[in-house]
Amino acid sequence: MRQLKYALIVAGAVSGVPYAVLATPSDDTLVVGLSADIDTLDPGEISSRDASNVAEHIFTTLSSISVDGQVTPRLADTYTVSDDGKSLTYHIPPGHTCQDGETLDAEDVAYSFNRAADPANKFTGNTPGFIFTSIDFKDAIAPDPEHVVINVGIKSSMTPGFLTEVFVHCKDSYEKMSLDDATTHPVASGPYQVVDWTPGSEIVLEKRQDPGNFKTIEYRIIPEASTRTAELLTGNVDIITNVSPDQIGAIDNSNVARVEKVQGTRRMYVGFNQSAMFDSPGAMAIKKADVRRALQYAVDVPTICQQLLSIECERATSLVNPPQGNPDLTPYPYDPAMAEKLLDEAGYPRDADGVRFEMTLQAPRGRYLNDANVALAVGQYLSDIGVATNVELMEWSSVYVPLIRKHEAGPMFFLGSGGGLWSALYDMSDLAAVDSGPNYTDWDDPRWFSRWADIEAAKSPEEERTIINEMLKVFHDDGPWLLMYFQPDFYGVSNRIDWTARRDEVVELFDAKLAAK
Amino acid sequence: MWTYIARRLSQTVIVLLGVTLISFIGLHIGGDPTYLYVSDRATNEEIDQARERLGFDKPLYVQYLTFIGNAAQGDLGRSLKFRRPAIEVVADALPATIELTLFSMAIAIVFAIPLGVLAALRRGTATDGSIMILGMLGQSIPSFWLGIMMIMLFGVQLRWFPISGHVPLLEPLLQGDVRTALTSLPSALYYMVMPSLAVGVYSLSRNARLVRSSMLETLSLDYVRTARAKGLSEFSVVINHALRNAWLPVVTMIGLEFGFLLGGVVVVEIVFSWPGIGRLLFNAINQRDIPLVQACVIVLAGIFVAINLIVDLIYARLDPRVRL
Repeated sequence: MRQLKYALIVAGAVSGVPYAVLATPSDDTLVVGLSADIDTLDPGEISSRDASNVAEHIFTTLSSISVDGQVTPRLADTYTVSDDGKSLTYHIPPGHTCQDGETLDAEDVAYSFNRAADPANKFTGNTPGFIFTSIDFKDAIAPDPEHVVINVGIKSSMTPGFLTEVFVHCKDSYEKMSLDDATTHPVASGPYQVVDWTPGSEIVLEKRQDPGNFKTIEYRIIPEASTRTAELLTGNVDIITNVSPDQIGAIDNSNVARVEKVQGTRRMYVGFNQSAMFDSPGAMAIKKADVRRALQYAVDVPTICQQLLSIECERATSLVNPPQGNPDLTPYPYDPAMAEKLLDEAGYPRDADGVRFEMTLQAPRGRYLNDANVALAVGQYLSDIGVATNVELMEWSSVYVPLIRKHEAGPMFFLGSGGGLWSALYDMSDLAAVDSGPNYTDWDDPRWFSRWADIEAAKSPEEERTIINEMLKVFHDDGPWLLMYFQPDFYGVSNRIDWTARRDEVVELFDAKLAAK
Repeated sequence: MWTYIARRLSQTVIVLLGVTLISFIGLHIGGDPTYLYVSDRATNEEIDQARERLGFDKPLYVQYLTFIGNAAQGDLGRSLKFRRPAIEVVADALPATIELTLFSMAIAIVFAIPLGVLAALRRGTATDGSIMILGMLGQSIPSFWLGIMMIMLFGVQLRWFPISGHVPLLEPLLQGDVRTALTSLPSALYYMVMPSLAVGVYSLSRNARLVRSSMLETLSLDYVRTARAKGLSEFSVVINHALRNAWLPVVTMIGLEFGFLLGGVVVVEIVFSWPGIGRLLFNAINQRDIPLVQACVIVLAGIFVAINLIVDLIYARLDPRVRL
C-alpha cells in the first residue's frame, strides 16, 4: 500500500510538471527557433544571416529595404547624393535615444561607420568585409547633430541599398566598452533590447519602442531540423527557420502550424568554368557559347523544384532576382531535342556509344537545400543528351569552398550565390570584373564586362536600366551559368501567429502579430 | 602512490599533445580555412591579409608549436567565430555537458545495478530473459535515433517532457548561488530526462549485463555459500557479500563510462539543442574554428584522463590487492 502511495505521488508530480514547464508562449511573447547559434552581436563583427536577423531588432539603420525591394526611411528620414555620387548626406531627425538613455544623433551614426571601418578593431563582419569593400567606404562625418555625410570611393546607384545593412549604435556606450564586451553586451539603438542571453541556448529581447507588436521576442537556438519542427508542433515555438522539405507535410497537416514557402533570393546555378586549367574535350566544349546554350535546354528545372525542393518555381532568366531582371527574357524551356540539335550543330555529335563528350560536375553535399540530389539530377539530364556526366559530391567547408574560391571547381560546378531584391546591379556585381572574387567561372565576355563603365557613366536611371537589360540579355544567351532557380526558403509558422515571410532571408518580426481568433 | 600520480600526470601531457596534434592535422588536412572567414567578394590581397591576421600564413609546424607554446601558458587562443578566448567559450559550455553526463551516468548506474542483480538472481527465468533482451536492444539502438523517437513519443505525442532546451544547474552552483540552483533543480532535472536517457541507455544496458555476469560468478563462490550456511538472510548475502565483490569490475567500467558518455553527448546535444561542449565542438569543426576545436579537445581529453586516474585510485582503495 505504501509503495502504491509513493507511486501515485511520483506520477502526480511527473504529470504536473509538464503543464508548468511546457506552456505555450504568452500572448505578449513571440518565440522563434533558429537553426544556428548567434556568435556575436557586435555590429562590426556580425556576419551570419541569423545574427543579422536578431541584430535588426536591436540596432537601427539609416534606412531599410522594404518587402518589395525599395530603400525606405528608418533612422534617417531623407538623404541626398552629391553630384559626383560619392557623398551621401542623411538627415537624422532629433528625438532618438539608445538603451542607456544616451541621445542618438548624427555623431553616433558617423562613429558607428568609422568604428566598423577602423583597422585597429580588426573586424571581419559583413559591414567592413562586404559592404565597405563594395562601396569603397572612405569615412563618415557629422557636420551637425542632424546630418551625417558618408563618403565612398565608387559612384553607384547601389550605395544607398548597401548602407541599409550598416548597424548604427551610440558612441559613448561603445567607446567605454572593450571589444569583448561589445560582442556579448549590445546596447540597443533599435526597438528591442537584449534582456537575457544564454550563449548556445537563447536570446531574449524586450521591446523598448515602436515598431513591434510583442513585448518579448525569444530566440531559441535549435540546430536539429526535426527538433525545431517538433517544438513548432507542440506549440512551444511560433516561427522556425529552415524547415526541412521532408517535414513540410507533417507541419501543414498538423492543424497547429503551417509552412510559409517563398522563393528566396539565393541564385542557384551550375557554373561553366572557363579557366585554362581545364582542357579536357568536355571542358573545351563548354567554353563555347553555343554549347552552353544547348545545355540550358537539357535540364528540367521546374520538375527539379517540384520533385526535389517541394516548391513550384519559375526558372531563372539571368543572375538577377525578379522583379529586377530583364522583363523581356523568358526562361529556357526543357527541350532535350533542341539541346541535342544544338549540340549536333556545334560539332558535338553522339559517338557509337551515344556519348558526345564527358563532363565532371562538382557539387557540395549538405550546404544548400537538397544540393546533392539536385546535382545528381542535373548530371542525369545532361547524360540523357549524351554528355556523360560524372557528379562529384564534396564536403563543403574543407574541400569545396577552397576549390570554388580558387576558381578551380569544375569544369562544371553547382553553387548558390546570395542575392537581393533591391537592385539588379547588386546581383550583377558578382561579375563586376573578370578578376572579381565571385566570378568563379573566369568568364571574360567583353560584351558584359565592358559595360560596367557605361553603367557608371549613365546619366539617368532609365539609361542605366537599358544597359542592364542589354547585359542581362548577353548573360541569358551566352553566359557562364546554367540557369537554375532561386533557392526556396521554408518557414514554419504557428497558426497562433500572423506573419509573412520575406524573400530575402530577412526574418523581420515587427509586423508579426497574434492571429485573429 | 605519489610517484604513481606523478607518472600518470606526465603521461597525461603526452596524451594531450597527441590528441591536439591529431586534431590539428585533421583540421588542416582539408585545406586552407581562411576562405571561410572572408567575404565572397574579397580580393586576393584581402584574403592574404585575413590569412595573416588569422595566423594561417605560417607553416603548419610553426602554427602548431606556437599553439602548444601558448597553451603551456594557459592561452588556448581566441575563437575565430566567437571572437573571445576559446577557453572561456568552452568553460561556458562545459557545465551543461557535465550535468548531462553525470545524470546519464547516474541513470546508467542506478538502474543497471538492480536490473543486473535481479537478472542474476533469477537466472534462466523470463525476468532474466526480458532484462537481457532489453539490454541488447539498449546497446543496439543509436542514441540519436532513440533521442528523435523519444522526442516524437514523449515530446510531441504525449507532451510529457520538453523537447529541447536547458535549465542551468551547475552554473549557479559554481557561482555560489545555491538558492537559484535549488530552485531550478526540478526544472533542470526535468529537462535532462530525455537527453540523459538517450545518452545513458547504452551504458545502462552494458552495465546491467556486466553486473549480471559478475554477480553470477560471485554467487557461485565458496564464501557466498559459507555466508548462506551461516544463516545470513538472502538480502545480506547478496548485498553485503556478493555485490560488494561483484562491484569491482563495474567500478572500473564506470570510470571508462564517463569518457564514453562524454563522447556520446555530442550527437545527443545536437538533437536536444543542449548547449554543451559536444554541440560546440560539432559547430566548431564545421566552421573550422581551429582554436575552439583545440580547446574543446584539450578539455575533453583532460577530463577523460583525470577521470581514469581517479578511477585507478578508487580501484586501489576498494581492492587492497592492487598496489599503485
